[in-house]
Amino acid sequence: MSHPPTGAETPLARRVIFAMGGGGFTMEPSNPLLDDYVLTLGVERVRASPGGGLHAHEPRILFLPTASGDTNAQINAFHARFADRHCVAEHLSLFRLRDLRRSLAETVLSQDILYVGGGSMRNLLAIWRAHNLDRLLIRAWREGIVLAGISAGAMCWFQGGITRSSGPPEPLAGLGLLAGSLTVHADGEPERLPVWLAAVREGRLPGGWSLDDGVGLLFRGEQMKRVVSSRPGASAQRVDAIAGELVRHRLTPELLGAPVAGGPLATIDDDVRELRAVHRMRRGIAREPGS
Amino acid sequence: MGRQSPPSRTPQIVALGGGGFSMEKSSSVLDDYVLSLTGCERPRVCFLPTASGDADHYIVRFYRRFAPTCDASHVSLFRRDQGTSGVEDDLASHLLAQDLIYVGGGNVVSMLGAWRAYGLDDILRSAWRAGVVLCGPSAGSLCWFAEALSAFHGAPQRVRGLGLLPYSNCVHYDAEPARRHEYHRFVGDGMRPGFAADDGVALHFRGTLLERAVASRPGASAYRVEPAGRAVAEFPLDVTHLATSRSPDTDGASADAAYARRVGVAA
Repeated sequence: MSHPPTGAETPLARRVIFAMGGGGFTMEPSNPLLDDYVLTLGVERVRASPGGGLHAHEPRILFLPTASGDTNAQINAFHARFADRHCVAEHLSLFRLRDLRRSLAETVLSQDILYVGGGSMRNLLAIWRAHNLDRLLIRAWREGIVLAGISAGAMCWFQGGITRSSGPPEPLAGLGLLAGSLTVHADGEPERLPVWLAAVREGRLPGGWSLDDGVGLLFRGEQMKRVVSSRPGASAQRVDAIAGELVRHRLTPELLGAPVAGGPLATIDDDVRELRAVHRMRRGIAREPGS
Repeated sequence: MGRQSPPSRTPQIVALGGGGFSMEKSSSVLDDYVLSLTGCERPRVCFLPTASGDADHYIVRFYRRFAPTCDASHVSLFRRDQGTSGVEDDLASHLLAQDLIYVGGGNVVSMLGAWRAYGLDDILRSAWRAGVVLCGPSAGSLCWFAEALSAFHGAPQRVRGLGLLPYSNCVHYDAEPARRHEYHRFVGDGMRPGFAADDGVALHFRGTLLERAVASRPGASAYRVEPAGRAVAEFPLDVTHLATSRSPDTDGASADAAYARRVGVAA
């Protein structure tokens, strides 16, 4: 069933990262717009892949709750959001690897979407490195697997971000797949913003983006292509330091719309839901997560 | 507060093959044994639940067990942004002021990765040298050794620990039939000689020497495992079965309240 890792690299322009400043299933349980958008990116990958025509599979989405310490709350919220959508949803716990039936590489590289949750950015990167998962994620990106994430799970893809892992906000280097820096929750946690602006002005972080909760940036290759939002009024800005002065550009996000009825993102019907429950049980992932 | 540790305390580590408050329900005599090593009437005990991802239920059970008789605290590396990490001041000074540091079970690779990000590896090394007793089951045992067999993954894996004890270590030795075979294979392939412990056995090291092996249940065993020519030899250790003393009936409600105060949430 699961296609083995191909190892084939995609051209830079087809590598996709979607970085959210806040929102998604953990923060907006009744607003699925950002998560549905993530799924459309997965559908796009499936359709573009060999054999992705008429008999294309549903996108496979893997949630990485590492930054939270793999809390059941995040894992349950993820499954609540994606269980009844057109996708195959699983999570990967680096604290409970006993549950894993395949190697880390197989698990990660057989996905269409990797969705990284929020929490401690410092812990996220340290634990990924301890398992060599950072290298696997970079490989996944090179193979065209969609990388999505919120908060710590968004900042990790950039050269740097602002973390509150130790309490007060401070700059921290990320994996550096994307040039520039990112700061999140600009409206929800305003104390991050001045720390980020000072770091950019002083050259401790490169210029980059500041995102409100509910705003996501779409990158194709290293190019920022779209700014979308799940909430009216949410905003984003691009900030650079030029000759020691901050130059700020306000970005106006496109408000995402609800998915079209009967379209690829419509909710599945009861028969499919039942069949899926059976499949999950047979794969042994129907158990309560975190038991 | 302000209590200075006697400078002459010997470094001590108690490595549990499994057991203690997280696994044994009523009688955690192994925990009593570890507490007795501190020589304090009301020891300061800090819990590190990192290997579980700082699981709330684990932290609650720690306070339930230790809060009635100890000055109990915990350090969470995941909740530091929310003011619920237990200890907000300097990690090093807090940990060095303890009589006992209790490391919980879980995934040893994730734990060591997170520790290094906060310099906890160095802090724990200093604490050990200063005579703070270090203990823990499972991942909380493996981490003190130079090398460990981690079987929390799909495939057993050779993991480098903090290296305070210059041996290898294998835990839950009797829990899974394949464990012994795997450990022998790794030692045969060049992993350094070391110690294997069943669930319910505690290996007590003074300095880097094994002082004693004690058990909470009869028949639980521990072994010294080392290469012997082309084969691997396994020598059973003398294991003292600790008499079951009923652990004090702890007041769950008041321990929960103590925990709630610690983490700053409404009880």
